[in-house]
Amino acid sequence: MTTSETPVCLTAAGMVRGARQMAFALVSVVLFAVAFGVAARGAGLEGWATLLMSGAVFAGASQFAALELMTAPVPWIPLLAVVFAVNARHILMGAVLYPWFGRLPFVQRLLPAAVMTDINWALAVQAYDRGERDIGHLVGSGLLLWVTWLAGTGLGVALVDAVTIDLERFAVDLVFLLFFVCLLTSLRRGRSDDIAWLVAGATALVAWHVLPAHWHVLSGALAGGIAGLLHHERRRHQPERHDHPQ
Amino acid sequence: MSPLQTILAILAIGLVTYATRIGGILIMARIPVSPRIEAFLRYLSGSVLVALVVPPVIHTGPAAWLGVAVTLAAMLRTRHALLSLVLGMAAAAGYRALA
Repeated sequence: MTTSETPVCLTAAGMVRGARQMAFALVSVVLFAVAFGVAARGAGLEGWATLLMSGAVFAGASQFAALELMTAPVPWIPLLAVVFAVNARHILMGAVLYPWFGRLPFVQRLLPAAVMTDINWALAVQAYDRGERDIGHLVGSGLLLWVTWLAGTGLGVALVDAVTIDLERFAVDLVFLLFFVCLLTSLRRGRSDDIAWLVAGATALVAWHVLPAHWHVLSGALAGGIAGLLHHERRRHQPERHDHPQ
Repeated sequence: MSPLQTILAILAIGLVTYATRIGGILIMARIPVSPRIEAFLRYLSGSVLVALVVPPVIHTGPAAWLGVAVTLAAMLRTRHALLSLVLGMAAAAGYRALA
C-alpha cells in the first residue's frame, strides 16, 4: 500500500475534518447523554458528580454500569472490574488503530487515546482506509463528542432538578437496562454469542442469590467470556464449520 | 456517599477507562494480541452487559419484562437504538399507569 508511506501527523485541519464527519451522530449522542444525566440523578448521584463522571470517564455504557455500584461503602473491586470489563473492547480498538497511532511520538498518542469512543473510532477506521493519516481526525471528532456528551449530561441533570418528575412513573429507572438491551442487540454477531450470553445471564442470576452484593456482574461476565473462549477454541479444531466473519 | 468518596470513585473509574484506551496501543507496541485473548475480550464485553441486565430485569417485574420485550422487538425490526429505547420506556410506563 502506497498510502502507508504518507507521514502520520496531528493538525488542526485534520481535527476539523473529523469533527465535520461526526456531526450526523450528535443528536443521538445528546439524547443518550440526557438519559444518562437523568439515570444518574435517579441513582442518587449529585449533579456535579454526574457531570464529573461524564467529563472524566467519557464512556457511556460503563458510566451506566457504574451507577449501580456508586454506593457507600464503595465496592471497589466490583466497581473497577465492571468498568474494566465494559471498556475492555477499547484495548482491541486501540490495537486496531496501532498502525496509525504507533508511528506518533509517545506524547502525541495520549490525547487521541483519551477521546477514542466507539463512534469516532469507527469513523477513524474508515478514514484511515481512505488514506487519512492525520490523527487530528480522531481528536477533532472525539473532542466534539466529549463536549456534546457533557452538554447532554448537564441537560439531563437540569431536567431532573428543574422538574420534579416521578422517575418510576416514566420508566426512567429502566433507561439503563433498556439501553443495554439495544447495545446487546447491535453487538450480537451470531450463535456463538448466544452461548456465551446464556452462560453469562444464568451465572449472574445464580450469583445474585448466592454471592454478596455486586459480584453477580463480574461472575456472569467471566463465565460468559470463558464459555465464549471455549466455544471459539472448539470451533478452531473443527475446520469444516468455519463460519466466523471477516 | 461522601463527596470525597464520590470524587475518588469517579477518578478511579476514569483512570481504569483511560487505561483500556491507551492499553491497546501500549500492548501492540510489545506483543501482538493473540486470537485467544481477542476472542476472550470479545465475549467478555457482551457477557458483562448480559450479566448486568439479567438479574435486575428479572427482579423488577412485569413492567421491566414488557419494556425489554418491546425494546428488543423494536431493535430487531428497526435497528434504531433510540427509537427502541423510547418505545420500551413507553410500554413500561404504560404498564405501570394501568397496573
